[in-house]
Amino acid sequence: MLGERVLGWWRRRRRTPAAGEPGTLFAARYHSLRLLLAANNRALELMAELERAAGGGGEPFGMAFVRSHCTALSVAVYQMVRHLDELAPGRYRDLFAHLRDMQEHIRAALELPGPDTAGQRLTLPLDEIDGRAAAAVGTKMANLGEARNALGLETPPGFAITARAFQLLLEHNQLSADLASLIQSSEQERPDELFALSSRLQQLIISADVPPAVADEVARRQAELAPSPGSVAPRLAVRSSALGEDSVHASFAGQYRSELNVRPEHLLTAYLEVAASTYTPQAMHYRLQRGLRDEDTLMAVGCLAMVDARCGGVAYTSNPADPSDRRVFVNAVWGLPRAVVDGSAPSDLFVLGRDDGHAVLDRRVVGKPTALACDPGEGVVRRPVPDELAEASSLDDHSAHRVAAMALTLEAHFGCPQDVEWAFTDDGRLLLLQCRPLRQGAAAEEIPESVAPGTALLRGEVCASPGAAAGPVHLLRRDSDALAFPEGGVLVLEHPLPRWAALLGRTAAVIAGEGAIAGHLATVAREFGVPALFGVKGLDRLRQGMEVTVDADGRAVYEGRIPGLVAAASPRSPHLMGTPVHTALTTALTHISPLRLLDPDGPDFKPRHCRTLHDVTRFCHEQAVREMFSFARRHPFPRHASKQLYHEVPMQWWVLDLDDGFAHEVPGPYVRLDDITSRPMLALWEGMTAIPWEGPPAMTGRGFASVLFEATANPALATPFRSPYAQRNYFMISSSFMNLQSRFGFHFSTVEALVGERDPENYLSFSFKGGAADLERRRARVGLLADVLEGQGFSVKVIEDAATARISAMSAEAMESRLRVVGYLVMHTRQLDMVMADPAAVRRYRDKLLADIRRVA
Amino acid sequence: MAITVLLVDDERTFVETLSKRLALRRLQVLTAFSAAEALRVLAERAVDVVVLDVRMPDMDGIATTRAIRETYPLVEVILLTGHASLEASLEGMSLGAFDYLLKPVAIDELMFKIEDAHQKKTLQEDKIRRLAEQAGTTGPGPE
Repeated sequence: MLGERVLGWWRRRRRTPAAGEPGTLFAARYHSLRLLLAANNRALELMAELERAAGGGGEPFGMAFVRSHCTALSVAVYQMVRHLDELAPGRYRDLFAHLRDMQEHIRAALELPGPDTAGQRLTLPLDEIDGRAAAAVGTKMANLGEARNALGLETPPGFAITARAFQLLLEHNQLSADLASLIQSSEQERPDELFALSSRLQQLIISADVPPAVADEVARRQAELAPSPGSVAPRLAVRSSALGEDSVHASFAGQYRSELNVRPEHLLTAYLEVAASTYTPQAMHYRLQRGLRDEDTLMAVGCLAMVDARCGGVAYTSNPADPSDRRVFVNAVWGLPRAVVDGSAPSDLFVLGRDDGHAVLDRRVVGKPTALACDPGEGVVRRPVPDELAEASSLDDHSAHRVAAMALTLEAHFGCPQDVEWAFTDDGRLLLLQCRPLRQGAAAEEIPESVAPGTALLRGEVCASPGAAAGPVHLLRRDSDALAFPEGGVLVLEHPLPRWAALLGRTAAVIAGEGAIAGHLATVAREFGVPALFGVKGLDRLRQGMEVTVDADGRAVYEGRIPGLVAAASPRSPHLMGTPVHTALTTALTHISPLRLLDPDGPDFKPRHCRTLHDVTRFCHEQAVREMFSFARRHPFPRHASKQLYHEVPMQWWVLDLDDGFAHEVPGPYVRLDDITSRPMLALWEGMTAIPWEGPPAMTGRGFASVLFEATANPALATPFRSPYAQRNYFMISSSFMNLQSRFGFHFSTVEALVGERDPENYLSFSFKGGAADLERRRARVGLLADVLEGQGFSVKVIEDAATARISAMSAEAMESRLRVVGYLVMHTRQLDMVMADPAAVRRYRDKLLADIRRVA
Repeated sequence: MAITVLLVDDERTFVETLSKRLALRRLQVLTAFSAAEALRVLAERAVDVVVLDVRMPDMDGIATTRAIRETYPLVEVILLTGHASLEASLEGMSLGAFDYLLKPVAIDELMFKIEDAHQKKTLQEDKIRRLAEQAGTTGPGPE
């Protein structure tokens, strides 16, 4: 074949040097290093995303998010271990076993078993159901059974198909993996994707086979409902009764499906349709918002004899919009009560007292031109109501009393206000169809005059999110401040950047110097019910930790906690904290994010001390860089020997080419900038040399040239790094990579960057530590650097007097600009700690730094 | 020289769409809709990188990875799947899969992975060839 011949020719032509020669060895090693670095970058990003999610802000997430991120993270870390093993075969092989242990812990956290249905029967007749059966038949059917059997209220006869049967349905058709896979592969947050996904998931269930054991049991129960043995079974109402549905903690109101007036021979089809409604878009969205796991949502189904109601409706034992209003509210229509439930038609309203007489206190009768009735074929049909009935009350006072009395009986029994669906038959029997806890929203109350305080500490312009709340002030000036953000703190910031939404789950209120109501942070604050006041001038009057009350509606901030204001505010909408999904994530994170391996030169920096995935990434990265360095030092091939940088004079900088960092063979001991192709190194060097050192005078008093020239360790000084390269300043480079370990006097820094054509893999990391001054001043210096770097878009972590700044996934040009800034900082901040005690001097240097950076970047 | 990629997934539309998009990026793309078909293609054609679904009706992707790595140790396997499972990912990786990617994947990201896997294969082949040549010149020679 021509193709094969061409391939062979091409392969022969493109011969590379022997395996024993440096070319191949270095190319293969460098490829391993590059893959390790890319995996490291990905792992750090995935960890940051998981931590942001766990922080409670941002978009709600489901188990699909947690699983996919943990899986991708685990793969990235595995790759790092593998590539380290390629660089140092066998030396760190323990890591594979340690990694496996960690992954086992994470897997256990993610795969907590769902509800245990073992031992449940497949169906249960309503006569045998009470409140204790909720785990088998769902809360809705359990409540109905309880009302029927414990309270003696009349309900239609029927039975439940249990959660166990639903699980069998999934197992029998091997649906769980297919469902999870479909959910994983789509972007649920986009509405169009959600609807398409929902339809595919529901289709999978609707087209499944009902397991024979379930079908047999259902047929038997159905036959038991027949009025006499052998006669035709009644038509049924088939209703969702998912585990957890209608509980006090989650309403799922209207999210699942119910089928009315189902012909006996169509029961199994209706069963599958109701079972499939586990995945309606609204149910999926709701679970996502509430942090509920799909695997905990098992759909039990209630099958009740269909009641062809004369009239029916819904009763509330309290005012849903005002919990303090304890009157009973009864809505009623002609025919089936569904018209009231889905709000599709006008209904009569009766308001009754809760005392013995249940006096009708208020009555509003409306025109009801149509009613829902059972269709003789199947399902329900909308029928015109005869004129003389349309204008008449659908309920007389006596019947209204009976409904109220039944609802109050249920409230007394279940111990909370109830939402009750009821129907009257033609022969005057009152039937209970469904009951559940009433969902009540808090009413916005008028703030009592006496509560509104006289003098506000600060005033704002924009109520970005309504409400009022109190808490301790937490000033947010840089990313690292966010780490210490206290639960229930008041977030104070100048610019309300979208990324701070990550804190809103823990925030009592937000105060910002700038910002508009349409901003992203404002949007998220409203979604989370966090009061937010923007456009607040004079933020410097707020001190860290001082207690304030933010009245967003009144556009004011008060000192101290003002209970009246806070109490009048509406309560927070729920967020993800403490939900099953959030708990799974935070448990997994304990094996992922804490970093224990801090000191690469400490005795604990060993594979067996790695406890988390973060430890493993840290270890692999550090060790890989060291292996590259020592390998190059051990193999003094002319091409890859370290060369001294020659720039007008020989400089105290050495360059080690890992792969293709030199444009051509460089003979002799020196390398010139012209010989170097490393894009990141050239950008960094440009920044290092862009602006001459102007003082304070170098300690030696010899000026900038001498600083660049000197740029070395004083071997007499104790070094905190025992690294092999601690004694010199080394650039390790390829055309797209650089790693610089440098030391000026007491200052240590590491700059590492990958700058190529693949934007998502690009990164720049800059760590710095040390100094000649006392710890306080060194901390202040690091804080100043952190500020400057954050202004450039870096995310910065500060521990004591050490900091690591990182930026990634930007274009090569943007990365080069940041490298110039870092190059400048490496050279120019080395003696800043000498002046950090003098605020005026600090301001001066800060201004100069910022001005210089604008020129350099 | 174009990289030859074999896409294996029982979801036909997925394979066909992806195949077109990768061809636009100048890859030579072969397709298979089952593990058995994939093994047949591998027996006939020189393939650099296999992109493989983890869940297929005839043989799961993990077993397929094992079969491929045993018979064609130089061919790199990238698992691409909707199956976010720590267990499967670990198993696949320890069998020598180059990567385990989750659907939906950005086409750029998949391209990078294919390029990286191909480069690894090329470096590996160079190394083996030179070791063989060295053995020929400096080794003990024919017995």
